[in-house]
Amino acid sequence: MGKLKRILDKTLEVLLMVSVAVLVVDVLWQVFTRFVIGNPSSWTEELATFLLIWVSLLGAAVALGRGAHLGIDYFTHKLPERCRIQTELFVFAVVSIFSLLVMVVGGTRLVMLTLALEQISVALHIPMGYVYLAIPISGAFLVLYGVIGLMERFTQLKKGVAL
Amino acid sequence: MSFPILVLVVSFVVLLVLNVPVAFCMGIATVLSIITMGDLPAFVAVAHKIATGIDSFALLAIPFFILSGLLMGHGGIARRLIDFANVLVGRFRGGLALVNILTCMLFGSISGSSAAAVSSVGGFMIPLMNKRGYENNFNTAVTITAATTGLLIPPSNIMIVYSLATGGIVSIAAIFMAGVVPGILVGLGLMIVAAVISIRNQYGGSEKTVSGSQAFMTFLRAIPSLLLVIIVLGGILFGVFTATEASAVAVLYSFILAVPVYKEVKIRDLPDILLQCGVTTSVVFLLIATSMAMSWVLAAENVPQDISRGLLALTENKVALLLMINTLLLIVGTFIDMTPAVLVFTPIFLPVLTGVGIHPLHFGIIMIMNLCIGLCTPPVGTCLFLGCGIANTTVTKIIPRILPFFIAMIVTLIICSYIPALSLWLPDVLGLLK
Repeated sequence: MGKLKRILDKTLEVLLMVSVAVLVVDVLWQVFTRFVIGNPSSWTEELATFLLIWVSLLGAAVALGRGAHLGIDYFTHKLPERCRIQTELFVFAVVSIFSLLVMVVGGTRLVMLTLALEQISVALHIPMGYVYLAIPISGAFLVLYGVIGLMERFTQLKKGVAL
Repeated sequence: MSFPILVLVVSFVVLLVLNVPVAFCMGIATVLSIITMGDLPAFVAVAHKIATGIDSFALLAIPFFILSGLLMGHGGIARRLIDFANVLVGRFRGGLALVNILTCMLFGSISGSSAAAVSSVGGFMIPLMNKRGYENNFNTAVTITAATTGLLIPPSNIMIVYSLATGGIVSIAAIFMAGVVPGILVGLGLMIVAAVISIRNQYGGSEKTVSGSQAFMTFLRAIPSLLLVIIVLGGILFGVFTATEASAVAVLYSFILAVPVYKEVKIRDLPDILLQCGVTTSVVFLLIATSMAMSWVLAAENVPQDISRGLLALTENKVALLLMINTLLLIVGTFIDMTPAVLVFTPIFLPVLTGVGIHPLHFGIIMIMNLCIGLCTPPVGTCLFLGCGIANTTVTKIIPRILPFFIAMIVTLIICSYIPALSLWLPDVLGLLK
């Protein structure tokens, strides 16, 4: 399980770093073409928005793995450790279910619908369905991290923490 | 309250209390609420809102300001600003406290992040002040509260989020300018408190006065750092750049400053900085995405109008309304982080307040000032906990020392609430008021 998580982390992290770097270069290119060449590039803005969607959604999975999402731990921190781990089990369970139903199932259906409608982006002529593919893919990673989180908490409970 | 909204509110609060990440609380509550409406395909609808909610070129400024903030935090820029502030205010009684506040204002403005200001400025200033006989908890209290001024002084990411949450009624350039005067006022308020406490406790004073030429050299060395704000704001104001383009230029500029010029960031540190930017960005954007889905449900069920009517039934007095909403936001701010609070409450309160003649820019400033106070209070206060960590102290010890600074912040908030000109004058002069 630890190994799977490490591979998952590394892959997503590299993807994320590269996407952020491409984003920066892309928008700088737009500024450059507008001010230096005087003929603004037509596709940079669209590429940037699409990349932003991918960065946000892929990063959401990495953030879940790192526990970086903002929450309110004020109340659960007052619980005894065993109870707290049980609430964490609940958190990972609802996050996984949401990711599965809305992002994987709903997202896939959204991709299919958009592809069927043959919606094409204005500048890059990419089918919008491929842009929205970020939702089910990120959803799948979120489910994976959610399940890993669940398993970790189960092992903790089994080992009998705070006995 | 309609049944779907009851479901939404109850499930949101329950999930929040159980420490489910706020972005997921909003997503799940929205799905449950749509399911109870019965006739909509809930999963696809929410997935669609998530995708379209973040499909915006204007929002791209947020990751770029985060990235340039990270480069600045690592890049020795804070130290040069400290030297500069020292020349300006270092010689007075409590000088280092004033230097701390002024640097936080400059650095927070440049980096746009209060957390970065606490760690970059506090990490250097708190130990220095301790060495010069200032009391540790006082120093921490100064840093924590001063760090929030950067959120009011532009450029500021939370203002971009606010502009989005108003549905574009407020332009990014206008809200940036609206924050300048209130941000400086908060800074001055904090300085007055710090000076009074320092005089009473005989802290510091008579730092060596620097000679004219030394002062000039320090100023020269700080110019490249200060220039960034001028490039970004000037570029946006004069219509040279969009906010997004300006933020990309800010990344390039801070990269050049931090890597080849000051040589404080190495090329091999860059992947980590990019990654950190990616993760922070996605935390903010997942919040934006699911909050878009939630506001859509709230709007479909006429919640903003209902709350509006409810509040107006209580009172139609502008002052009383502002007082109520300020109090509510103060309480909310102690529990919820800034970004989700702005995203959730802007669409709900904005219609009431514009209805009684309060300008959306003015409301944005009031809201951000309120939530800034929340960043420094328990139970949930990013700056507070970060500051305690850096200064190696505890929340209980900080509280008595931070209270006078809260009073300064609240007094400034009250002043800015009841004198709209403080927020509206600068955007008006610059022709940004529609």
